[in-house]
Amino acid sequence: MALPIANQIRRLRFEHGEMTQAELAERIGMTRQTIAAIEAGKYSPSLEAAFRIAHVFGAQVGDVFQWVD
Amino acid sequence: MSFREKSAWITLISVLVCFGAYFVELFGGLASSSHHFGGLGSLHLLVLSVLALAGLQVGLTVVAAVTTPKHGRGPADERERLIQLRSQSLGYHVLMVLAVGLFAPAFFGHRGVEMANFALLAVVIAALTVAVAQIVMFRRGA
Repeated sequence: MALPIANQIRRLRFEHGEMTQAELAERIGMTRQTIAAIEAGKYSPSLEAAFRIAHVFGAQVGDVFQWVD
Repeated sequence: MSFREKSAWITLISVLVCFGAYFVELFGGLASSSHHFGGLGSLHLLVLSVLALAGLQVGLTVVAAVTTPKHGRGPADERERLIQLRSQSLGYHVLMVLAVGLFAPAFFGHRGVEMANFALLAVVIAALTVAVAQIVMFRRGA
């Protein structure tokens, strides 16, 4: 079942020097597989992880994750 | 594949191989009436299976650690911990059902070592359930 949360991680990685999933994972203390699952909408990160991801891109959480009705 | 997913595969394979052989030998011998559950032969088989399980797990875990990139060998992250919790919860419920199910062989007159083997079978099935659940969740994403 698809989660009702969209994200802009792939675009933001591209805009930040084509950052790899492994690089993002290392910066927030997660595995590359977890970043891939979040990016694919298969896993909803905790609030803390969402803030960490947004912080890496210098963005607000709402710019990275959006609720989809 | 992350180190923890490899660990789940290692558990699945090693438990299936070692205790699969143990129970096939045990129940196969029982069916052909050439053996019974108790005795030193049964104990030797159990000790051999446990040693084989330990050896196989240690060996395969070393191989998994060597072949996993450094970033994949760090502490478990929140998704991996969630997968571990969910799979262990499922394994716990399977074990509870099987533990209650142990009354069935008891009603049919099984005692002592036989009941211990049925209990061991329940633990093995629960361990396999945990490993399979982890693999499925790792493959699906969460």
